[in-house]
Amino acid sequence: MLVSLKALRQYVSLDGLNEEEIAKGLTFAGVEVEDIERMASGTNLVIGEILECENHPDSDHLHVLKVNLGDKYGVEQIVCGAPNARKGLKVIVARVGAKLPQVEIKKGVIRGVESNGMCCSLLELGVDSKYLSEKQTSGIEELPLDAPVGEEDVLGYLGLDDIVLNLNVLANRPDLLSLFNVAREVGAIFSREVKLPSFEGIENFKTDLTVGSKTKRCTQFAGKEIKGLVIKESPDWMKSFLQSMGVRSINNLVDIGNYVMLMTGQPLHMYDADKLPVHALEARDDYQGPFVALDEKTYDVLPNDIVIASDNKPMCLGGVMGSLACAVDEKTTHLYIESASFDGASIRRTSNRLGLASESSSRFVKGTNHFQSEYVINMASKLVKDLCEGKEFSNIVNYQIEKAEQKVISSSVKRINNRLGTSFSKEEIEAVLTRLNFKVEMNKDETFKVTVPLYRLDVTCDADLSEEVIRLLGLEHVKSELPCLDTTLGALSLEQTRIRNIRNYLLDKGLDECLTYSLVSEKEASKMNLLNEEEKYVLLNPLTDEHSTFRSHVLHSLLKVANYNVSRQAKSLALFEVSNVQTKQSASTHLAIVLLGNDYSRGLMEKIPYDFYHMKGIVEGMMENLGLEVSRYKFERLNNHLDELHPGKSAGLYFQNKLIGVLGELHPNKINEYDLGKNPVIVLELRLDELVSSKVSVNKMKPIHRFPFVTRDLAFIIDKDVEAKDIIKAIRLVGKGIVTNAEVFDVYEGEHVQEGKKSLAISLTYQKEDATLTEKEVSDAEDKIKFELLKTFHAELRM
Amino acid sequence: MELANLQELLNSALKDISEAKNSDDINNIRNAYLSKKSALMSMFSLLGKMDPEQRKEAGKEINDVKVAISEKLEEKQKDILAKELEEKLNKEKIDISLPGRDFSLGGKNPFHIIIDEMTDIFLGMGFEVCNGPEVETDNYNFELLNIPRDHPARDMQDTFYIDENTLLRTHTSPVQARTMERKGGKPIKMIAPGKTYRRDDDDATHSHQFAQIEGLVIDKDINIGHLKATLELFARKMFGEGREIRLRSSFFPFTEPSVEVDISCMNCGGKGCSMCKGTGWIEILGGGMVHPNVLKMNGYDPDKYSGFAFGIGIERVAMLRYGIDDIRKFYTNDVRFLHQFKKKI
Repeated sequence: MLVSLKALRQYVSLDGLNEEEIAKGLTFAGVEVEDIERMASGTNLVIGEILECENHPDSDHLHVLKVNLGDKYGVEQIVCGAPNARKGLKVIVARVGAKLPQVEIKKGVIRGVESNGMCCSLLELGVDSKYLSEKQTSGIEELPLDAPVGEEDVLGYLGLDDIVLNLNVLANRPDLLSLFNVAREVGAIFSREVKLPSFEGIENFKTDLTVGSKTKRCTQFAGKEIKGLVIKESPDWMKSFLQSMGVRSINNLVDIGNYVMLMTGQPLHMYDADKLPVHALEARDDYQGPFVALDEKTYDVLPNDIVIASDNKPMCLGGVMGSLACAVDEKTTHLYIESASFDGASIRRTSNRLGLASESSSRFVKGTNHFQSEYVINMASKLVKDLCEGKEFSNIVNYQIEKAEQKVISSSVKRINNRLGTSFSKEEIEAVLTRLNFKVEMNKDETFKVTVPLYRLDVTCDADLSEEVIRLLGLEHVKSELPCLDTTLGALSLEQTRIRNIRNYLLDKGLDECLTYSLVSEKEASKMNLLNEEEKYVLLNPLTDEHSTFRSHVLHSLLKVANYNVSRQAKSLALFEVSNVQTKQSASTHLAIVLLGNDYSRGLMEKIPYDFYHMKGIVEGMMENLGLEVSRYKFERLNNHLDELHPGKSAGLYFQNKLIGVLGELHPNKINEYDLGKNPVIVLELRLDELVSSKVSVNKMKPIHRFPFVTRDLAFIIDKDVEAKDIIKAIRLVGKGIVTNAEVFDVYEGEHVQEGKKSLAISLTYQKEDATLTEKEVSDAEDKIKFELLKTFHAELRM
Repeated sequence: MELANLQELLNSALKDISEAKNSDDINNIRNAYLSKKSALMSMFSLLGKMDPEQRKEAGKEINDVKVAISEKLEEKQKDILAKELEEKLNKEKIDISLPGRDFSLGGKNPFHIIIDEMTDIFLGMGFEVCNGPEVETDNYNFELLNIPRDHPARDMQDTFYIDENTLLRTHTSPVQARTMERKGGKPIKMIAPGKTYRRDDDDATHSHQFAQIEGLVIDKDINIGHLKATLELFARKMFGEGREIRLRSSFFPFTEPSVEVDISCMNCGGKGCSMCKGTGWIEILGGGMVHPNVLKMNGYDPDKYSGFAFGIGIERVAMLRYGIDDIRKFYTNDVRFLHQFKKKI
């Protein structure tokens, strides 16, 4: 809502307040002033008259002017490029030293000719081009012939000496979409008297117009008939008022409608009475069919849209737009004015659906005062009489089903102060509510009743009263005090703690923590779905196709991050993200990891290319971090995702026999698809929910072995396809009770090892809990193990 | 063998010792003078043939020489070993400017730094951390927060819809309603950090995805002063001890009264600078007293209970704290950006 201070000043005294102070007062009272704009600005301005206009000797478009600036400044020579500069024209001159919004005027020589000032267009004084004609924007401003030469208050002369506040009116204060109510608000904030005009009804005949409503969506409908009016241009005061409030002048009648709406907040609608089928207007919500609106477009009206019908024909889409059929035009002489109240929700639905939002519809959507139609119509009538030469005015016909009952709210000084954390006295509270036009009946026990003015739709309970009190008396009165509540444990839940631990573990391992968008394109949403293929949430109203689907996996987004960085010369990456994902079937927390290039955690001198085992190690470390023993999870070879992962270098992670994660080297085709260069890329997608909610028993200390251990290494050749875990499992089984650890320390394929075979070296630890081992015990155990490996795996022992 | 040679022997040994240069020399000297076959040691075998009187005296003389040589030799050996060790260590000198091993620490997106840090501040005040789904129902996101269907306040938050009743939450406030439902009328002290979504075009200051921390305290006799003090504590922990906060009236459908909270500019300390646009204050969050309708709808008697609620934008706080000029930087994850954020506190 734009508010002209010049207009506001007519209704409330602003003496002694500058625009900054007014803006601050409003802002702290909850009516934020977004900007303070000047209609126009400029110093050192004066009205001049062009005495001579010669062509510049050295230019085909410049003129050399002699301009009379009046007695004080005499005649100055000015070089001017405007095509409309001519002898006898009255112009705005910015003298040397003038500061205009864009430039500062200096004495100069233009192509050899001295120039002492500039003739201005309104554009150069900062007037928005939307208010200017093409003629005004293409040349200097042509002042009326009677403009006083030598006048220095040029902005005042033009009516542009105005400052406009841009109010951000929030959804709770639709009343402030009215200049009169802004005046009331300013009056309350600064304790100033507010003087609003009153209007006598004009009536010299009885109308046969009938108005009514067949729907609860229109609770009030007032109309008045006016005859003998003339449509023409508005007077200057009206044009400049509208301009200051951000509205363009159209003609006198349209301007009156806008003027009344800006003043009172009540939108009006005007019907050309001669074009209506019958002398009746009726609101209804059961019409269905096409509607040709003022903008000459046809809209589909549906049941529940509010329509004003005459003889069952739609004449207006209530509160939204009139029909072309009965629109006023320059020939209109006979008028019906409508001032009605509509259900905001219905107007919102209709205007959103049809894409028809206007100053009027938005006022109805936010809420209007249902009980001011008579005032509003009287105001409009007076203007029609003055500006449109209106001759015959009918009585007002009004349909209204609600009673004008003011809300009464009970509260007490204590309740108000308790909510606010303040200690205002009953006098202070009473005074501030009275300033806001609330009627207060204060009792001795400091309880009170408040009657709320009808235009304050937002005040319905005593919490609202507390807001009124604090926003005017100032939030600085609130005592800052920490609440004394029962002590509670401030701690993350087990799940939250474990997720935090996992993230910290990965960060400490040198992985970078990323954050990517949950919304991806529909196509992307199906990429790298390594864990499930559940039904995805798709937006009804996406902004772009790029962000249309809620992702069910994180890995794709992380691979895009990898691509972004690789294309910016990153050679090695270790990235992870923990994010919520959601499908129609489930909501869970996923971890995705991408490793690319080399592990540089030991510096360039010891770089190690990332491979499957890095990722596996990260997972194992994470499990240790969570306290989940090796026996509770396992890695199994995958038999799906063959297009996405390297079939020989990928695995599924099973936790308590349930697949919760997939890891492995990205398939070379995918590396190409994501354009990730030549290095192997290792990826993981893991659902964390089962891990972080799993039960883990408290650690119980086990006694440290008292007796010495013996380590022996075994190396043997086996088939390449035999997995180390099976060998170790067999060793542990055979060596039960004596073998306490078995770990691979070398794997070798290649020279000196037969094709299809590999050499595996295992380090074994032997130990007994209750005695020192003898050499024989170790040898016997070792023999049993060798025998078992030979028997089961055809292992060929290497010495 | 003549005993008369003893002095000569001693002189010769001391000379050799003083000229010894390394452990080998020491060993050679020990062999030459103190081994069983050495001249000195063989003198002991002569003692048996002497008369007791003479033997005693001669024995002492020989032994004195032996002890003198041994002591000197020990002393010299110690010196030589020390010198040799020093030389060895000097030779082992390394280039200490080469990189250390296992130094790497991951960069943490500042978004996460801020969420974790804010969470910890409120945990320290005894808050619990609550969660809710990002794909939410209209009921939790709007209805239960006093924003009925077709209410103009819905236009304040342009919403991504899945269907008529399902949407992407536009704020973390639905977790308020969910928590009230779960607590069933009992006091609440919670925060809810999380991602939120609005139909905004992405630019330097807008993002269709962003995050908030919601806060909610419900108990008897809660007032705005409690909100103010809680946020003051938070602001000082987050932005430094000198910070002041100030409240301005505002409007949110689910709080009454509603406030915007400004904090004194951390850049200029409140004097006015380009960061605070000359005002000395920076808008940081919104909050207020829980609207009586919200309490009622979620099972709390507004005559018995009152509460405060607030919502803080994560990215906004991170941008202010770290001087990040574009919200999209959080979502781009350029590693050169992430690697600037390794510091743990």
